[in-house]
Amino acid sequence: MRCQIYGIGLNSICCLANLDIDLNEEYFLTVMSRSKVVIIKAKGVLTRDEVNQKKLIHMFNRGLCILTGQRNLKESLRILFNERDRVGIKINTLSGKMLSTRPEIPLSLAKFLEDCGIHQKNIIIWDRTNRELKNAKYRININRNSIKILGTDTQGVGYNSKLISHLNIGSLFSSIQSDFITSSISLAVLKDHGLAGVTASMKNYFGAIHNPNKYHDSNCNPFVAELFDTIYIKKKHKISILDGLIVQYHRGPSYHSKWAEKCETLIFGLDPVAADFVGWQIIEKLRAKHGIPSLKEEKREPIYLKTAEKMRLGKANMDEIEIIEEEI
Amino acid sequence: MNRRQFFKTTGGASILACSGMSSLLIDMHAFQEKANLSKVEALFYKKHPDREIECVLCPRFCKLGDKERGYCGVRENIGGTYYTLVYGKACSIHVDPIEKKPLFHFLPKSQALSIATAGCNVNCKFCQNWEISQVRPEQIHHIDFPPDSVVKSAKKNNCPVIAYTYSEPIVFYEYMVDTSKEARKKGIKNVVITGGHINPEPLEKLIEVVDSIKIDLKAFSQKFYTNYVRGELQPVLEAIKIVATSNVWLEIVYLVIPTLNDSTKEIRKMCKWILREVGPDIPLHFSRFHPMYLMKNLPPTPISTLIKVRDIALEEGIHYVYIGNVPGHMAENTFCPNCKKIVIERRGYQIQKNNLKDGRCKYCNHIIPGVWT
Ligand code: SF4
Ligand SMILES: [Zn+2]
Repeated sequence: MRCQIYGIGLNSICCLANLDIDLNEEYFLTVMSRSKVVIIKAKGVLTRDEVNQKKLIHMFNRGLCILTGQRNLKESLRILFNERDRVGIKINTLSGKMLSTRPEIPLSLAKFLEDCGIHQKNIIIWDRTNRELKNAKYRININRNSIKILGTDTQGVGYNSKLISHLNIGSLFSSIQSDFITSSISLAVLKDHGLAGVTASMKNYFGAIHNPNKYHDSNCNPFVAELFDTIYIKKKHKISILDGLIVQYHRGPSYHSKWAEKCETLIFGLDPVAADFVGWQIIEKLRAKHGIPSLKEEKREPIYLKTAEKMRLGKANMDEIEIIEEEI
Repeated sequence: MNRRQFFKTTGGASILACSGMSSLLIDMHAFQEKANLSKVEALFYKKHPDREIECVLCPRFCKLGDKERGYCGVRENIGGTYYTLVYGKACSIHVDPIEKKPLFHFLPKSQALSIATAGCNVNCKFCQNWEISQVRPEQIHHIDFPPDSVVKSAKKNNCPVIAYTYSEPIVFYEYMVDTSKEARKKGIKNVVITGGHINPEPLEKLIEVVDSIKIDLKAFSQKFYTNYVRGELQPVLEAIKIVATSNVWLEIVYLVIPTLNDSTKEIRKMCKWILREVGPDIPLHFSRFHPMYLMKNLPPTPISTLIKVRDIALEEGIHYVYIGNVPGHMAENTFCPNCKKIVIERRGYQIQKNNLKDGRCKYCNHIIPGVWT
């Protein structure tokens, strides 16, 4: 794994500005940072199932600043979102409290978004069902003036009735993804997946449609990539964040303590394919460390990442991904 | 309950309305918040270590970890035990003429209490009932309708038949089997309307408790099954053979889709297979396609195509070949293969005239296979 600090930061922006390039945010993100992936590890962020809030904030701070080249969290988020945005934080609560996105992570992130000017009523932490959210220790909040935490199955939410047909995808989208939000954060749990190989930020969007069970054939390929390519996701997705505090490196996506490793890591990427690709490498390393055959040997490599790369959704090869690792 | 109502939004006051969204919410689909799913242990699955299971009900052989659902979306692994979530959870209940199924050689003119739950084990791009077949049970309205209530309701509505239909009854196998057993006790017959995507062992067991099965053969090429059905052809052919050699009455339906499964070569090949494997007397219905679901880019099947494929089947030697979804077409009638006269005259789902006598053509005494009484 190539590890270096990719030093664009403010200097690079000025440099480009001097060249009189029309430097809008999109250009900056697309050209400069698309395939940068930042791995932040913080020892002690998780002790006996308790998240150390201070360390978590520090992780976000470092992760987002390195990723965007900004000086602080606020500036980093301002590059990605504007004050009028309605931001969805799509979490993954499929596997109960032991292996779902830990509530402290999206709640902290929501607070940062609020601090950077997004009204709390325009922030929503969400997944498929309230039952799964509750099982993962989230407190449902449907108050329309505060940060909302809810499932698509909440009364009055549901699925948009327009059937979206795109390549091999034919699905109804959660109205949260299709109608409510303007920007999306995929805050997924990094884990092994019996069929897909790896589930991370792209596959997390399976939870945004009504029929994810229809897309698990042939290692979820090309479905994960094609779903991401649909209008409601590709245009809205802003950042991938992988919760790797505990990584299930084998027998996922269900929780099995004997194959779950405390990694105390968060992974940040603007390129969802690259972020998930790096997540995959972490899983492979853990598998190798524990003497478990690679996903390739088990014939369940996440080949959807290659498909995604072919569809120009991001990078799925080491040579084109800058990996920056930092331990705090 | 009609299909449109299944998806009605349950929300009055909208939570997401804070950003000028309220007008968008009118058509949105909502789950039933209290999903009220069943938790009845499934049949035909294997337990594996680490709370994993393998469903062997259908040829998908879904292998699932804890908390995961199969492809059909209605069976879930909960802590290493596999459960059906739709036992007794009917999302569609109607009384239909048996001809609507279509079953043309099975108790003509009888009414069938027809039920379905959510779910399907394939995903046909041309599905006519996708709003119930391609959703999870908590995404549509359903009612508690346990086997004994189904049977009582059939009796009350003077239905001598219960039909398991609309979505894919294989995925509500346990509910169907128990209802069929109950129905038999009361002298009611059971018919199954299916894509036939089922493994031999569960099919053999099903055959013991039902009276007729209609199988949709969606094409005669694996390529079509891969691209448009997301399933396998071979298991369907196996299922046809198993049913044909049992005491259960079989009819086959082939939905003719312009340019995709209507070539002379494919139709001829299929007819030869039917003749070789199950004989000339299994009724074969060629149905007209209408653009639906994910296949709205094709026109309805031209009547001329339906006539062409029917002619091929007759030429090959199949005795009872029908054209479906074209009300009033002469190929809705049953012709005696011996004297060529009409033995059952139909118009749409109505029987106009029945010229059968004790299961024979009243003109020439030729035996017309079927279950007539
Ligand atoms: S019945 Fe459902 S769960 Fe079982 S193998 Fe078929 S699709 Fe999978
Ligand atoms: Zn005759």
